[in-house]
Amino acid sequence: MIDNTSSFRVKKAFGVTIMLVLLFFAALPTVWVLIMSFREQAEIFEPIWESPLAVTLDNYRGIARSDFPKALLNSFICAGSSTLLAMIVGVPAGFALAKSRLSGKFYASWLLLLLRMAPPVGFVIPLFLLYVNAGLIDTYFGLIVAYMTLTLPLIVWSMWNSFAQVPDELIEAAIMDGATLGKAFLQVALPAARPGAVAAAILGFLIVWNDFFYALIITRSSTVTAPVAVMNFISYDSVDWGSIAVASIALTLPILPLMVIANRYIVQSLSGAVKG
Amino acid sequence: MARIELKNVEKAFGKVEVIKPLNLEIEDGEFVVFVGPSGCGKSTLLRLIAGLEDTTAGTIEIDGRDSTSMPPGKRGLAMVFQSYALYPHMTVRKNIAFPMRMAKIPRAEQKQRIESAAQVLNLTDYLDRRPGQLSGGQRQRVAIGRAIVREPSAFLFDEPLSNLDAALRVGMRMEITELHKRLETTMVYVTHDQVEAMTMADKIVVLHDGVIEQVGSPLELYNRPVNLFVAGFIGSPKMNIIDGGQAPGIDAYKIGIRPEHINISTESGLWEATVGVAEHLGSDTFFHARVDGMSDPITVRTDGSMQVNRGSTIYLSPDEQKIHRFDAQGIRID
Repeated sequence: MIDNTSSFRVKKAFGVTIMLVLLFFAALPTVWVLIMSFREQAEIFEPIWESPLAVTLDNYRGIARSDFPKALLNSFICAGSSTLLAMIVGVPAGFALAKSRLSGKFYASWLLLLLRMAPPVGFVIPLFLLYVNAGLIDTYFGLIVAYMTLTLPLIVWSMWNSFAQVPDELIEAAIMDGATLGKAFLQVALPAARPGAVAAAILGFLIVWNDFFYALIITRSSTVTAPVAVMNFISYDSVDWGSIAVASIALTLPILPLMVIANRYIVQSLSGAVKG
Repeated sequence: MARIELKNVEKAFGKVEVIKPLNLEIEDGEFVVFVGPSGCGKSTLLRLIAGLEDTTAGTIEIDGRDSTSMPPGKRGLAMVFQSYALYPHMTVRKNIAFPMRMAKIPRAEQKQRIESAAQVLNLTDYLDRRPGQLSGGQRQRVAIGRAIVREPSAFLFDEPLSNLDAALRVGMRMEITELHKRLETTMVYVTHDQVEAMTMADKIVVLHDGVIEQVGSPLELYNRPVNLFVAGFIGSPKMNIIDGGQAPGIDAYKIGIRPEHINISTESGLWEATVGVAEHLGSDTFFHARVDGMSDPITVRTDGSMQVNRGSTIYLSPDEQKIHRFDAQGIRID
């Protein structure tokens, strides 16, 4: 039924207006960065209508020649590996926690939540001291392991929830059908929890992709990730705003398609759409 | 083909004893129904046979082999669950193929078995659909198909019809009974619905608080319930249970008389009663009538044609041959 009463139409118009205003505020910085990326350094803070034709690709050329592409690659390596490793360990762990009849599960959930909630500073300082002694500063291995302290609790926690929504009977049916526990997990439980798994992997990837703090502490030069590399455009005497704008776009673009693909999975997993 | 034997089987979850030590024999090819109220342990007993739960004590033998600690997949049993438990990401074909894939049956043979099962169960047109696109009855048939193709030595059904609507339930009841007649495979069936138990079973096992109250054919249970619990549980509507003191002349602590074993007269009879609610089912009419001195109303069955008004007086005479007598412990007296 479509509600056509005038009071409903007023309410609807009001709602749409609020959404448009919010959308404008949310989109404004992005649009601004986009415009900045095409402006020459000298005009960057001039009103755009005073010199609308002062458009340049210099900022993009500059970024291409800098160390920034390598930093982007580092971000990919770290976010990809730490998510993949955390998935390999965390997905079976989530399954075990959701489906076993262990009595200590309460403590496990408590510990996981603590790890998720604790501020990263709490981990980084001991980690830094350990890494200095172990020679892991500025190594991929060190950075990836450090990032797993972020991704692993997230993935275990969310997979625990996803598997909890898969009915026990489904796994029991597979076991009655002659599947081993491993096969029941891989061929029945995991596909049934797939939306949750995709969502968990993407969220894990994004946490690492967007991280600045860990990388700032643990990297020096060869493994610097993109968010930290952006800082290199800020020097003592000047700030290269044009390059920063391009770098921001370069950081955002790769996750756009990811979000589009992930969108339906995240919505599905949040609304718990696993039904027999 | 399988003969299943439970010897002193016992199951406790922590300190709660769900199944008290019990013995049970299920003969090869028999259709056995476990029936009882919620929480009586009937599903647990089935899951013990399936191997989905470990026994606390006792042994389970399937075809003479001790299967107590054998993993579920190795017992050669197929199970149909209440929720159907179809794999949601697989097509009907893949669902049915799953147990055969696990058993590494050759592809050609798989294909052939799927097709013949689909034919039997009217699923041929739905083989490439996903479970989400099927109706409840079709899903149930897929679950049965998945059980049939592996040619198990026994089928286990855990309340398979309780998610279906009433009309479909009657249809599926017939289909499962037909299937049993054709396959002649042992079937163990759990239900809380005593009508399902009565209509389908060769042998009914009545469970109550983890104890087997009685084992017997449907008519044995109906005609000779061993105690008050079975008497009250089997039969619909329920047997009238009357305190002996309120029914003089019939010498017992408690007596039971089924609604269909009471004669009604408008002129004379043993008990004078006032008619309360009447339930007209068409073929039958059930009267609830109050007798002076009895605490509970008596339910009486007549054929659908009898017209009696609420508040009028009728006379009830229990059929002497059909009265069940019970002692103070609720045990049947003969």
